[in-house]
Amino acid sequence: MTLTRGPVLAVLALAVVALCVYPAFGTGYGVRSTLQIFMWIALAGSWNLISGLTGYVSFGHVAFFGIGAYAGAILITAAGWSWPIAALGGGVAACVLALVIGYPCLRLKGPYFAISMLGLNEVLRALVSYFEGLTGGGNGLSLPTLDATRSIYYVMGALAVAVTAVTYLIITSRFGLRLMTIREDEIAAEAMGIDTFRHKLVAFLISALGPGIAGALTARDQGYIEPISVFPLAITVTMIVMVLFGGKGTVWGPVLGAIALFVIQEIVWARYPYVHPLLFGAIIVAVVLAMPRGVLGLLQLKYRLPRTI
Amino acid sequence: MPVLAVEGVSRSFGGVAAVNRVSFALEAGHIYGLIGPNGSGKTTLFNCITGLERLDAGRVQFKRERIDGLRPSRVARMGIGRTFQVIRVFPELTALENLLVVTRGARADAERRGREMLEFVKLERLAGEYAGNLSYGQQKLVEFVRVLMTDPALILLDEPAAGVNRTLLNDLLAAVTRLRDEGRTILLVEHDMKVVMGLCETVFVLDHGEKIAEGPPGLIQADERVIEAYFGR
Repeated sequence: MTLTRGPVLAVLALAVVALCVYPAFGTGYGVRSTLQIFMWIALAGSWNLISGLTGYVSFGHVAFFGIGAYAGAILITAAGWSWPIAALGGGVAACVLALVIGYPCLRLKGPYFAISMLGLNEVLRALVSYFEGLTGGGNGLSLPTLDATRSIYYVMGALAVAVTAVTYLIITSRFGLRLMTIREDEIAAEAMGIDTFRHKLVAFLISALGPGIAGALTARDQGYIEPISVFPLAITVTMIVMVLFGGKGTVWGPVLGAIALFVIQEIVWARYPYVHPLLFGAIIVAVVLAMPRGVLGLLQLKYRLPRTI
Repeated sequence: MPVLAVEGVSRSFGGVAAVNRVSFALEAGHIYGLIGPNGSGKTTLFNCITGLERLDAGRVQFKRERIDGLRPSRVARMGIGRTFQVIRVFPELTALENLLVVTRGARADAERRGREMLEFVKLERLAGEYAGNLSYGQQKLVEFVRVLMTDPALILLDEPAAGVNRTLLNDLLAAVTRLRDEGRTILLVEHDMKVVMGLCETVFVLDHGEKIAEGPPGLIQADERVIEAYFGR
């Protein structure tokens, strides 16, 4: 049972057109919120590529967001790059970090990898605070004023589309299937000639690119960054919850999770600012208990849908 | 020139010698058996050959190249395929995807070959079914043809007959013979003596990690040390 391609593509095209014209008559709040949703789609989708497919849970994925934010901000302030190029620079910085970290850490088995990634984030935050000359330390880093929210809206939207498209391409490829064999049974994968380390490393590099670019775009949009604002564990946790809610290892799970949780978060946060973390915790528990595969994962198994949902 | 040469291989776990100075050689195009009581080191020896277990001593040579110390994936791509005693299919991949993951080159070719393989073991109707939903015997067949998809020169089978019904077993054994006729070499661990006696040209016997006998099945069956290993003195 597969959905027919035509209507799906038509709906997607309609959504893209609507989102393209939206800034022309949307409110400032609306545009900013949509921009945030784009960012979360890019972050959750990227986390899904390494953790949803290979089962290697990255507990420090915000590190790539943070390094991208700092690299982008420094390239703009110190090197005078224009922000779109600096955003790519942020992505490259995140990939370089992923290579340096992934090379030793992806040799570790799953749980140890998760813990080492958690440590990475703390180390980075400390390093950024320490090298004040370059990063401004705990005082943060201010960028020259520039109102580019609308332009950033489009670039972040393109990033969300790109991450989702890459996810589709990977999941439908044999490379993607091989990533899943690592999640299913890493020893059997190795015994069948799949170089699991190289596969994990490539997936990890790709999964760092999106957050790096998103971090640099966010730095430009907010105009000011500091260690606690771009390296919080909460961003990693949010990415993970979004993917788990939507359905890990699927194409549209991270998209659904990002939209649903962002909207829930906005509503709850506006009304009950203090119970908001509590509610998030409750959602994690509920998802893990009631549908460990997430909404789309559940539908996929129940109605035998392809992973491309 | 043997296709595989195992020379003085040892591996111990916390002072227990699981495999102790074992040596043997396999010539291309033959079927060999590896037998021994439970815990005699057969699976550990398989793991030592395929790179899943490092060696404490000795060496393993495949087609003149030393392979001990290489990553398992490297060993597999050099042409050594294996199945596992406990089935290890990828449960959330479909039967066909289980075969596709080990292929390279054009996707269409790989899919066609995969479907042919499934047809060969009469599972073509289940190509799109998650491997985890298949029965034990069906999973065993998927694992068997997945190895064949890698086109191995040497195939290590860990208890291929266990838990497989008679009809299926006969098909499997016929397939193994055919693989031998294609010039491949097969080494199988098996407890079913009928299978070993009917299929293998040479049998190695392990006991407490040591090779205690080697020879044609008829002679092995009468060997006193072997009888002692199985039934005690």
